[in-house]
Amino acid sequence: MKYVIRSLGFVAVAALAACVACGSERDPGPPPATRVADPSDVIDQGLMVALAQAKNFHHKAKVYMTDGNLTAATAAVRQILSLAFPKGAPEADDVRNDARALLAKLLMSQGQLDEAMWTIDEGLAASQRESFFVANLYTVQGELHEARAAAFDATGEPGKASAGDERRAAISSYDRSIQINERLQKKLLEER
Amino acid sequence: MATQDDDTLTGSVPDPDTEPAPAELAHARRFAELVDKTLSGRTPPAMSADDRALLEVATVIRATHGSVELAPSQERQVVEDALRQAIGAPAPSRGAAVPIARARVRRWVPWIVAGTSTLVAAAAVAMLWLRAPAGTGHESPVARRAEVPPEWTSRPADSLVGPIARDHAGDASARIDAIFADRLDGFRARRLARGGKP
Repeated sequence: MKYVIRSLGFVAVAALAACVACGSERDPGPPPATRVADPSDVIDQGLMVALAQAKNFHHKAKVYMTDGNLTAATAAVRQILSLAFPKGAPEADDVRNDARALLAKLLMSQGQLDEAMWTIDEGLAASQRESFFVANLYTVQGELHEARAAAFDATGEPGKASAGDERRAAISSYDRSIQINERLQKKLLEER
Repeated sequence: MATQDDDTLTGSVPDPDTEPAPAELAHARRFAELVDKTLSGRTPPAMSADDRALLEVATVIRATHGSVELAPSQERQVVEDALRQAIGAPAPSRGAAVPIARARVRRWVPWIVAGTSTLVAAAAVAMLWLRAPAGTGHESPVARRAEVPPEWTSRPADSLVGPIARDHAGDASARIDAIFADRLDGFRARRLARGGKP
């Protein structure tokens, strides 16, 4: 029994000593003045290649739009969504959300409102954080609801109720966009 | 199970001139043997409640008659203790009898101390774990990290682009140009700083 008691005492003393040692090591000092980043966080060739490709597809789509070829412009923008970015790069979310906003507007201009709405919803669901690009998605979503309301209005009396619902949904989307923008602007001002 | 002897103390008292019954004689003989055994230090571990009460009375009667003698060593120690107390010296603790309750406490003291220490250590470990700072960036080995200016890092483009007005919701081409140009600056600056290494 004595050995058991001594072992317990030894374990307790060792644990306390370890705690004291770890406590002094973990004591967080003042935050460092310089930013410490993992090497995988830096801008590398993979990120630059993905951004360059996105840039080229956007320019290609712009040329098609100038020509009035909206179908080809839509296809060019779709290709941006399948670009491979470095894992965890925040730019990936931003570029894809911006491409989705443009894609939704192109689809809307071609009368494909449901597909445009699905494109927006998918982008909002996949977003990892709030950004001005997410706010822009809500703005385009509001425009889509407005377009739907106009479509219901065109059907006459039977579509009036649905048109009202769509207008309320548009207001809700614009409100969310405004809220995100306000929060982000406040945050950016505080960081400066 | 009740026996005939169970009413020895509670039953009616027989007349002194009455002849003892065989059972009474047998009981008296058995009790006499019990007293003899007790006086010789061989008290049986189990006996009836009546016998125990009678035995205690017999022991007290014997002690009051002064026929009990202490062992010489114990007698000497009692005398010495009394003399010490008489001259104001503290009573020696050597050979002092320990009360049963205190002996039990002494037996449990080491366990209590060891258990308390273990509990305190466990609480300290739990507290340390709970108050450990999370997400400060200090956890990873320094060797795996490098200090870099924020311009060289992959980061959200919010501060570069700013809020997107409704009129410019579809101007993704202009925004990707700005993002690409900014990141290209950072990429080149880092590469130059590293002597052209990627």
